Amino acid sequence: MQRDDTILAPDTRPTTARDDTLPAWLLLAPFLVAFGLFFFLPALETFWLSLTESSLTRTSAFVGLDNYHTLLHDPSFWDSVGNTFYFSLLTVIPLCALGLLMAMLVDRFTGARGWLQGTFFLPFVLPISVMTLIADWMLQPSSGVVNHILGGQRAWLADPYLALPAVAIGTIWWTVGFNMLLFLAGLRNIPAELYEAAALDGARGFTLFRTITWPALRPVVSTAVILQLIASLKVFGQTYILTSGGPFNTTRVALHYMYETAFTQSDAGYAAAVAMAFVAIVILLSLLQAWIVKWLAGRDA
Amino acid sequence: MARRGFPRAAALVAILFLVLAGVGAPARAQVEVRMWTLLSGGDGARMRALVDDFNASQHDMRVVSTTLKWGEPFYTKLITASVVGAGPDVATIHLSRIVNLAGGGVLRPISPGELATAGLRGDDYLPRQWAKAQYEGRTYAVPLDVHPLVLYYNKTLAGKAGLLDADGKLKAIEGVDALTDAFRAATERTGRRGLTMESSQSSYAIWRLWLSMLAQQNVTIIRDGRFTYGPAGAATLARIGDWFTKGYAQSGLDYPASTSQFMGGNAAFMLNGVWEVPELVRATKAGTLGFDYGIVPLPRLYANASTWADSHGFALPANPGHEPSPEKVRAVLRFVAYVSKHSLGWAEGGHIPAYRPVAESERARSLMPNAMYAQAANDVVYDPDGWYMGAAGPLEAIASKFLPAALYGYLTPAQAVHRFETEAARLVRKRPPRY
Repeated sequence: MQRDDTILAPDTRPTTARDDTLPAWLLLAPFLVAFGLFFFLPALETFWLSLTESSLTRTSAFVGLDNYHTLLHDPSFWDSVGNTFYFSLLTVIPLCALGLLMAMLVDRFTGARGWLQGTFFLPFVLPISVMTLIADWMLQPSSGVVNHILGGQRAWLADPYLALPAVAIGTIWWTVGFNMLLFLAGLRNIPAELYEAAALDGARGFTLFRTITWPALRPVVSTAVILQLIASLKVFGQTYILTSGGPFNTTRVALHYMYETAFTQSDAGYAAAVAMAFVAIVILLSLLQAWIVKWLAGRDA
Repeated sequence: MARRGFPRAAALVAILFLVLAGVGAPARAQVEVRMWTLLSGGDGARMRALVDDFNASQHDMRVVSTTLKWGEPFYTKLITASVVGAGPDVATIHLSRIVNLAGGGVLRPISPGELATAGLRGDDYLPRQWAKAQYEGRTYAVPLDVHPLVLYYNKTLAGKAGLLDADGKLKAIEGVDALTDAFRAATERTGRRGLTMESSQSSYAIWRLWLSMLAQQNVTIIRDGRFTYGPAGAATLARIGDWFTKGYAQSGLDYPASTSQFMGGNAAFMLNGVWEVPELVRATKAGTLGFDYGIVPLPRLYANASTWADSHGFALPANPGHEPSPEKVRAVLRFVAYVSKHSLGWAEGGHIPAYRPVAESERARSLMPNAMYAQAANDVVYDPDGWYMGAAGPLEAIASKFLPAALYGYLTPAQAVHRFETEAARLVRKRPPRY
């Protein structure tokens, strides 16, 4: 989960007055240069790499689409994509729902607002190494606090059925604070008059939420879901540190497979193909999600 | 008074300064040799002691050693650094990785002439290990040791189980049934585990034992990019798995948990490499072990007594564009020769020295507990040759994911072997990488 997910691209639509074009480009230039140098060019190079047979430092042959052909029939790749989706399924909805719930709690209990907000947000500031260390201690089979509370001696991270859910729970605890902040900002943007007017009409409790809070929050929700989806699809650090992809690959996600092919197996060409294929999948999913959100909004209107 | 004294004082200080500077500067520039090692723990401390002794023994050169994380991270770093010319002057490697490193262009061959200038000759090294340091007719490393898999036993527990002879030594165990019986007897008669070995996910111990047991049946694992073990692969893994499913050994223990089970007197036998010897020696000396121990080579379970082993060795990274000067090569080999000749200190880490004048010396022969398993060196098998083979290499990494799962019952032995093969298939078909 990387924090730079929060940086949204600036609005590049031309403004009404023509004279504004030059300053706009000047302001954009630093971003465009950085984007080109550190993102676009490397992405192009990765695409080129994916058409070759390469080790970590040397290209030995141009192989065309061979790597992609291998990829289609590589169960390890599809398993890792499946694990990534499963992880996203386990994290995206709970993270958004819990974030919203926490935001509403913080918003409601004005007396303890600062304290609640700080407590909920605190885990998010931890570096991944600290977060995984804490999660690992908590999940230890014989000495961990989780088994102490639940009873039993479950080896969470060594169990093929429990390992990925356990990593997902750790991730939710770690990053939910960020979503809470997003929703909190959304909640504070809802004019109090709306609630007052609704209250005069006799609305209360869940009706207020259904008729005012939820519709007003819709744009924030869709932003949160898409940011979360992308972040979850990009999962790497937690599973790499906590389980190294084990037990027997049940927690090996797509980026981890890419890392393994590139670094353990020195197959940079194939790793690049894995990366490109996965980027394509992420883009398709994001488009699909944007389309669904639009369609839902259109249906409501 | 003070004012008159000042010029004289200044002159004195200046003279003192010059004298000090003159003493401080060596007659010739000191050659600095940078070494990367993957040796940590007791091995790391022993290597550091050898480096310090060497640095103290002369003033022409100085070895600066950096320890990196064992396994895949070390080799990834060594490979990438060395092929772009940023590698160290010398590195410790596993001889099982020679095909990978020499074939991939990571290492620089060492000529017989260069070896001779340091007083090193191939004949002075154990022949099997010297051969393992060659690739396509050239020498790519100077062997340091052999470290085989051995069987440790707790004399108190083995005695209770009736497994010791009149001298208090382990009665000979022959055949896999006999070994299984020994584990069963120890488990049933002592109330402790019969065996302990590392078996958690991504542990390499199962691979080492599996390879040994297959080699004992004269079965190879892989040849020309094809898996050649046939039904013996799953059958052998099933024999190991039996010990866990029947409760003779506890499944899922990671490395520290498995060794502390033995050290704590809670398991009669331990299957592990010789690198645990120093810890047993230390605990015995400190009086904290609580039992007498013995060590034997891995028993003959099938047709022969093959035992997995690996070796450390010193190698020179290629560093293209920054090839080492003849002076640097001489300095590196001088250090390597020093370590070879002083490898008795290294043997205290449980390793069998590869330098014959040391290995065959009376002191090494009588060194305990090494003497108990010294004969294992005659029966060692390495990982088969292949660019994907060797310590923490890509194939071992894949095996270490699936083979342990067969011991917990999440996969059957046949499934585990099949999934290992499926995932490794792309790797073994690939052309060897030139890094």
